[in-house]
Amino acid sequence: MTHPIIRFDHATFGFPGIIALEDVSLSIPESEFVGVIGPNGSGKTTLCRAVLGLMAPLRGTLRVLDCACQELRCHHRALIGYLPQKGMLDRNFPVTVLEAVMMGRYGALGLFRRPSRKDWDIARGALAQVGMDHHRASALGALSGGQQQRVFIARALAQQPRILLLDEPTTGLDLTAQHSVVELIQQLHRELKLTILMITHDINMIRSRVDRLVLLKTKLFAEGPPQEVLKPEILSQVYGKDLVITDKDFVIVEDYHHH
Amino acid sequence: MLELLAYDFMQRSLLAAALVGAVCSVIGVFVVLRGLAFAGAGTAHAAFAGVTLAYLVGLPPLSLAIVFGLATVWITGWVEEKGRMKLDVSIGILYTATMALAILFLGLMKSYNPEVYGYLFGSVLSVTSEELLTIVGLSVAVLGTILLLSKELYFIAFDQEMAAASGVPARQIFYLLLTLVALTVVISLKTVGAILVFAMILIPASTAYQLTHSLTQMTLYSMLIGTFCAVSGVLLSYAFDLPSGPSIVLLATSLFFLAVCCSPKRLHRIQAQ
Repeated sequence: MTHPIIRFDHATFGFPGIIALEDVSLSIPESEFVGVIGPNGSGKTTLCRAVLGLMAPLRGTLRVLDCACQELRCHHRALIGYLPQKGMLDRNFPVTVLEAVMMGRYGALGLFRRPSRKDWDIARGALAQVGMDHHRASALGALSGGQQQRVFIARALAQQPRILLLDEPTTGLDLTAQHSVVELIQQLHRELKLTILMITHDINMIRSRVDRLVLLKTKLFAEGPPQEVLKPEILSQVYGKDLVITDKDFVIVEDYHHH
Repeated sequence: MLELLAYDFMQRSLLAAALVGAVCSVIGVFVVLRGLAFAGAGTAHAAFAGVTLAYLVGLPPLSLAIVFGLATVWITGWVEEKGRMKLDVSIGILYTATMALAILFLGLMKSYNPEVYGYLFGSVLSVTSEELLTIVGLSVAVLGTILLLSKELYFIAFDQEMAAASGVPARQIFYLLLTLVALTVVISLKTVGAILVFAMILIPASTAYQLTHSLTQMTLYSMLIGTFCAVSGVLLSYAFDLPSGPSIVLLATSLFFLAVCCSPKRLHRIQAQ
């Protein structure tokens, strides 16, 4: 196994009186594509915030890029490309596509330095990688949801990251856009050899694309190759007994609120 | 009209107005985009409370205006950061509390002091050379800081968490922005007054917001609109013997409504539908 780029060692995260994620031990080597799944409130976003260094462990340790997560400095964070959960974008926010992508360079640039010609080239290159180069002068708010996600992925790529952290990148998109975004992520993983942590609810969309799945339910419930994690007896314990139907191709988790 | 420029007081007034118009409208871009509009109003009233206390105890008015303004924005920022309560509620409480303090200090004064009311309503035509120097110094400091850190300020206005995750010291930049807002309010007190300074921060930036999809252009348009309104407002107030603060703000408001009617963004949306 190659040297882990992210390493949780009995790490517990939360707030005083609230444990969001307990006793997680997990090593992620460089260039691995990991899917993180689990029901709402299972600690997926907590895991994401921890890797970003926005949350220190209450117990245990988390090392990212060979650095304790609570000691991550700006130059470390600049190596972690992050796509947050899709929020409501003010359609009138005055930012062009290229300006939004260039923001990805700001952490690496540091304070007081203006973007150079090279930085603009990197931003344009990132836009080309996600197939949005021809939209660079467009207003970000004028794009569709799928196109906006591509732009935000380009912003993360403009950081020239070693780790790409994607928090539910397909939420709120139609089916075509979901497929297109996931295919883009897989292609970037193949071409750039990035370490990717992708949080998602869409198990079927990623099961054949990731190297490993991590299943959370306020602790690390299961992890391994998708075929080992996506077993009815494991999923039913996390999502609810007798509510999981699996066949050869699909995992269907029925909504237990309807029963 | 040109002979007006021969008067020292008019030169000082126009320079003060131009600087205040530029500073308010540039900082206003970040205030509008970051959703801190109400914080500007709260800070202005807090700064006025500082002015009244300064007159009561015999200290330089701008020094206590800065102390009160900074305390208010920093408490506001801390409350938002900690998520203890909604931002508009905390600002509302500070806004009214500092106004209550200002009224209390006014009540404790032995006699009517017209200079204090100059800070409430603005009197740009009476700006002294010393006050102009302070305005110039603070304006250079605020605009220079914005110029040096504009990319970080834009990023936190767009998405502060994303900025922090990308390696930008977002928290420190946020507090710096609040500090710049407080300094801008203090610079503007004498020119447009505590009641109307909030409008000078908000209106030119909101007008520019109607006109462009680019952050850089929005800042440039806002500065041009703010400076134009401030200078034209002073000239109008002198020509027609009107109070300067309202003249500036009403001119800016007229431009805002004109921009809303002619907004390319709005017209594109209507055409798209």
